[in-house]
Amino acid sequence: MEILSVRNLGKIYKGMVSYEALSNIDLSINQGEFVGIMGPSGSGKTTLLNMISTIDKPTSGEIHIAGEDPYTLSQNKLAMFRRRELGFVFQSFNLLNTLTVKENILLPLTLDGVGIKEMNARVEALADKLGITSILDKRTYEISGGQAQRTAIARALIHEPKLLLADEPTGNLDSKSARDVMEILEKRNREDQSTMLLVTHDPVAASYCSRVIFIKDGQLYNEIYYGDNRASFYQKIINVLSLLGGNGHEFPSVRI
Amino acid sequence: MNFRQFASNNVFRNKRTYVAHFLSSAFSVMIFFTYSLLSFHPNLRGEIVSGSTTLSVLGTMGMKISQVIIFVFSFLFLLYSVSAFIKLRKKEFGILLLLGMSRKQLNRMLFVENIVIGVAAIVTGILVGVVFSKLILLICATMLAVEHGLPFYLPGNAILLTAAAYLALFIIVAAFTSFMTKKGTLAELIKAEDKPKPEPKASVLLSLLSVLLIAIGYACVFIFVIGRILSFALLFGGVLLVIIGTYFLFTQLSVYIMRALKRRPHIFFNRTNLLTISEMVYRMRDNAVMFFMVSIISAIAFTGIGTSLAIGDPGLAAMKNPYAFSYISFNESDYKNDFEQKHIRLIEETLEREGFAYQMASYTPAHTQEGFTLVKLSDYNRLASALGYDPEMLQHGETLAAPSTISQNSKYKLEGAGTDTVRMVQFEGSWEMTMHIKKALQHIVIPEPYEVYIVTDSDYDRFNAGNLMKVNYVEFVVPKWHDTRAVTRELTDAIYKGTDTGSLQYTPFQFSALVTQWVESRQTNGILLIVSGLVGIVFFTFAASFIYFRLYADLSRDEEQYRMISKVGLSRKELAKTVTRQLVLMFFLPLLVAFIHSSVAFLALQQLVDFSVASHTLAIFASFLAIQIIYFFVTRWRYLNHLYQKVM
Repeated sequence: MEILSVRNLGKIYKGMVSYEALSNIDLSINQGEFVGIMGPSGSGKTTLLNMISTIDKPTSGEIHIAGEDPYTLSQNKLAMFRRRELGFVFQSFNLLNTLTVKENILLPLTLDGVGIKEMNARVEALADKLGITSILDKRTYEISGGQAQRTAIARALIHEPKLLLADEPTGNLDSKSARDVMEILEKRNREDQSTMLLVTHDPVAASYCSRVIFIKDGQLYNEIYYGDNRASFYQKIINVLSLLGGNGHEFPSVRI
Repeated sequence: MNFRQFASNNVFRNKRTYVAHFLSSAFSVMIFFTYSLLSFHPNLRGEIVSGSTTLSVLGTMGMKISQVIIFVFSFLFLLYSVSAFIKLRKKEFGILLLLGMSRKQLNRMLFVENIVIGVAAIVTGILVGVVFSKLILLICATMLAVEHGLPFYLPGNAILLTAAAYLALFIIVAAFTSFMTKKGTLAELIKAEDKPKPEPKASVLLSLLSVLLIAIGYACVFIFVIGRILSFALLFGGVLLVIIGTYFLFTQLSVYIMRALKRRPHIFFNRTNLLTISEMVYRMRDNAVMFFMVSIISAIAFTGIGTSLAIGDPGLAAMKNPYAFSYISFNESDYKNDFEQKHIRLIEETLEREGFAYQMASYTPAHTQEGFTLVKLSDYNRLASALGYDPEMLQHGETLAAPSTISQNSKYKLEGAGTDTVRMVQFEGSWEMTMHIKKALQHIVIPEPYEVYIVTDSDYDRFNAGNLMKVNYVEFVVPKWHDTRAVTRELTDAIYKGTDTGSLQYTPFQFSALVTQWVESRQTNGILLIVSGLVGIVFFTFAASFIYFRLYADLSRDEEQYRMISKVGLSRKELAKTVTRQLVLMFFLPLLVAFIHSSVAFLALQQLVDFSVASHTLAIFASFLAIQIIYFFVTRWRYLNHLYQKVM
């Protein structure tokens, strides 16, 4: 089943000099897929994610998530849509530091008015899966970056969204925590069939995906699929990145 | 955790942000309450009583204007505080909206928060206000030794007004916050903290306009004063123009000047100037509204206090009545004042003994059926020479209009007598004559509550024919009259000895002294003095607190900034220097503008009165400058200590 379909998407930033960030993007993601988006900085990958996240309006083209175009919804319906169908994970975690870990995770359910009993049951089950049961009552400044990101993932999954969107989820983490986070995402994708879309410039993180899409200068450049094992997939990703002019790691593409 | 629990957790675990907003709200409530407490005070209802009609009108107008201004500024203060509060929380709102909070839920949360903070602030503000104002009333009454100070009363009206006004205000502000979060896309909200601020721009046109508006505003005030057009609209319009001009002065002109400094490399790249100036461009812009409010409020405070000090000035009493002592002797055909010569000799001897230089002159007025008072030219010339004015000449049928009150004097100065001729009818008979008014005199020589005309001695005799009662006014001019309190007491005792002053017994003479009138008018004006002093202090505290709240709100950002800079290698001394320069600007720039504004107000006031107000002006400026300097050093010391702890 197709969860996300993007047709002919374009985005122009208006200003003194108008700048076309994205043009003619076509993309389709099916139920249970784990898709990564990569590209040099300035290529438009975050713009694409923001538009799919319903926080930045496209200038042309259409987006359908679970059959609905979020940009045609009323403001109220859009809030409901975000609350029920989407989950978000950010590079900087974006947890509310006035709340405890548990309260942060519960926030989407609270906003939706779910009963206390069900909330507690869901948190316990999910915290167990993510290994954060012991820190549930701590405040956000008392936990490590890896724990914070796992909390953010729990918050993004608690309402079983149709699509989980992650923007550089490993960007602020050390390599061990980054691997933990990616393993958790991959496991949830495998076991619960949750659909995930991930923007990253870390080839290791990307290698956990089932498919990686490359963007360059606002256009689709290439896409590769997970093959037999992660090591060879990682090698393939590195190869494409060097073709992109990234020399294996990220370098800004040179413009004159 | 349900929605209500979430909202309350959000408040209680984020105390610092809320406390700043709560304190500034409560403070604003307290100020407004103190003011309404004064304006509802039973002893202050209606017109303010003062010795002079012009100044009474001004005083009442001043109360009205400051009442409007304090309300507007409370509102702006509140709005300012709430917008700083919202700005700090932009990211939080972004996250909540992204997680699927609906606008309705967000608005409800903000509304409830605002109302809860508002109600708490109202209660706190009023409670603190009651304690504070009672204390101030007590201190004022003791310090100024006013026997009948302002008594305490249960301020029911003031409480109701404050509560109602602020409840309405908080509801408007609550509505306004939901409007504030509406602008900007979600993406912008989430990145609100990381996004560098755009460099502030200033428009040359608006910078020029600011100077122009202030100039026009000043002109309006001077037209009001010099033209004696006592219209509320003109004064209010002038004040309004100056206020708008000042706003642009801070938001546009100041930024423009800073940017101009930035373009001069030898200034800009000179050691810590780079830091100070570039930081200042933002700080000027961010604090422009604060600077604006502080300078306007301070200017109002200074002007108010200055005006009321002028009302209590001895010069004002002397303007009304130029004579230190007046001895009035009543002589009828059957009832003569036998003491006249004895009393006058007594006064002269006493003055000589005590070493007071004096001049004496007398006059005997006549009256017409129109109620005019007529004075002989020869009498007038003697009085004028005693006061140091030039003598006048008159022909038969000519008359001089002599001003007798301050308002009449200013009217004559401005537009003359108004008519060329005046018809007079003999009081005791039917003889009449149309007199030609030669000119209107410019000084008060005959202090009487009636219209006074000077006529030639022969015309005077004709009008006065048949009048059996002769009232002789003997006037003494003493330059050092405000030291005559003891002499006055002695003379009064000696003159009235043997007559019972308490009963209604008729005495054929009257003795009065200017110094007594002055002391009495000071008593009457005492309340006005207290009120304006109080309002001035209240306004000034209000202004000073703006700066404090501003620093408090910016503290965490500043810490971050200086921590970063100190890593690059900024010595303690250099840090202190940069901080000091910025604080000097924050503390003294608004004060300077306030000084300029109120100087203009005092210059205008100077046109209204004949004595100098410069000494009051300087005294006020000096004392407020001293307070501000103390405040500056205390703040600087605390602020630097705080930074040292956090930074190194």
